[in-house]
Amino acid sequence: MKINYCFLVGVCIAILGSGLIAANVYAIENDECMECHSDDSLERSESEGMKEDLYIDYNTFKYSVHNVNGITCIDCHSDIEELNWDNEVPHPVSLAMVDCGGCHEEEAEAYVDSVHKKAGGKGITIPCYACHGYHFVTHLEADSVYERENKFCLKCHNPDNFHEWLPQKDTHFAFVECAVCHAPDSPRYISLRFYDLISKKFLSGKDLLAALDTDYENFMGKLDQDKDDVISLQELEDMVLLLRQKDVRGTFHGELVLELVPTVHHINRGGANRECEQCHNPQSPFFEEVYITLNKEDGTGQRQKVERRVLESYYVNHFYAIGGTRVRYLDKIGLVLIVGGLSVVAGHLLVRVATAPARRKRKGKKDQFSI
Amino acid sequence: MEDDKLMYIHPAPVRVWHWVNAVGFVILIITGIQIRFAEMVDWFSLEEAIQLHNYVGFVVIAIYGLWVSYYFGTMKIKLYFPNPRAFVPNAIKQIRYYGSGIFKGEPNPHHMTPDNKFNVLQKNAYVGIMFVFLPAQMITGLFLWRVKRFENYIELIGGIKIVSTIHVLLFFFFTAFIFVHVYLATLGHTPLAHFKAMFTGYEEHHEPEEA
Repeated sequence: MKINYCFLVGVCIAILGSGLIAANVYAIENDECMECHSDDSLERSESEGMKEDLYIDYNTFKYSVHNVNGITCIDCHSDIEELNWDNEVPHPVSLAMVDCGGCHEEEAEAYVDSVHKKAGGKGITIPCYACHGYHFVTHLEADSVYERENKFCLKCHNPDNFHEWLPQKDTHFAFVECAVCHAPDSPRYISLRFYDLISKKFLSGKDLLAALDTDYENFMGKLDQDKDDVISLQELEDMVLLLRQKDVRGTFHGELVLELVPTVHHINRGGANRECEQCHNPQSPFFEEVYITLNKEDGTGQRQKVERRVLESYYVNHFYAIGGTRVRYLDKIGLVLIVGGLSVVAGHLLVRVATAPARRKRKGKKDQFSI
Repeated sequence: MEDDKLMYIHPAPVRVWHWVNAVGFVILIITGIQIRFAEMVDWFSLEEAIQLHNYVGFVVIAIYGLWVSYYFGTMKIKLYFPNPRAFVPNAIKQIRYYGSGIFKGEPNPHHMTPDNKFNVLQKNAYVGIMFVFLPAQMITGLFLWRVKRFENYIELIGGIKIVSTIHVLLFFFFTAFIFVHVYLATLGHTPLAHFKAMFTGYEEHHEPEEA
């Protein structure tokens, strides 16, 4: 049989072309994956009787940061090229490990030389999702220290076991995110959140803005009177006053958290900051950046820069780092008390010394008369 | 010096309390300065200063327990309470003495006895110090020692910064007080007479120039 090579080439081009078109038109949709993975009993047997849960809660997944940004299942599980519905499992049973570093290059680079990555050499593998989770990755920037720690470090670590040297360790754990000390190369800031003393809870960004009769876009316009893009102490006072007029009474809670930059992944044994004076002094760079965090429902937050001096005010009553955020005018009162005390002593002593001859003279006369 | 001129004014428990408290105060003030002004002084590391401050703080609290037990156990606590009726005239006399009479060599209007060892101004000052200021300093110190453990009480007071403010203001007050206290202790018949008495328990009875 004679082969018409031109015909064959044409057929090949047609097949390849249609395949490319099909790949675009018939890309695997999340819905197709969910046909199986929405079954909450879906699991597979692993070695030694272990089972792996393969169920995806779509109601949670749809709010995950990846889904919100249009990242589909096969963008991460990129080794699934097609689904063959004739098979019991329509894709390869064993999938490759998701390569988060394919998109998150800087984070992956910072992670390479970290204690968690190095632990891999000891028979442990700590992939990204060991900390970040699989399918429900959410924004962290508006999270509190507790939320950040619970989602990450505390999954594996019990900080009680390693911080015996740390005075007030519980207080540090409550107000300082672990990585502030353990990833000392990363920038950090003070996040202020408004605590409502009446409802005894933190006001969400939305509620706080509602109480101020404004919204995310106009928040600064309403408060930042001098238009320098920073909320000064005076402007914060005005804000508290506005809230009081609306019967919202509360105080700002402060927490020391990290900027979520790639270097937060660069944590190494022995690399933690253990020098208390780094933080506990008024020139500490740890308190240079102060923000009010207005959290949003999607887990993101709008941050507004605040003058550092508010940390020394009584509007931030529940955040106090010895030495670091001390109230300066108390020192002036102290100086007056001590200088005043010393002055009284010095003045009295001086008069006693000056009048000593007169007293001696008087005593001499008295003794003369008594003789 | 004759024996009948000696009065047993400071019983042993009071002397023990006084000197332990005094040394404790000095250490607390020094470590307190290091803790608050870490950027200005470098006597200890902050970690050492805090640990020493905490240990000594508990010693001062414990020894305050001795003071309370002794004075309430023997009911000598009444030494500290001025007679309300005589308070104003006695206070005026005492102020006049410290402000003028002492310079002229006039006798101290207060005559120290074992049952009445403080003049009216001392009574007033020490009631405030021993029943208000010192307990306030100890309680706020305790709260600052374990902020998380006492967070509910701290909340009641109005937050950690209020607690810290009380502690810091009292720290300044006690620092100033120590200078004035030591100076006033030199106003005995000799500059060291009251210091000596606080070691031996015995004050010499001299009419003129007593603090």
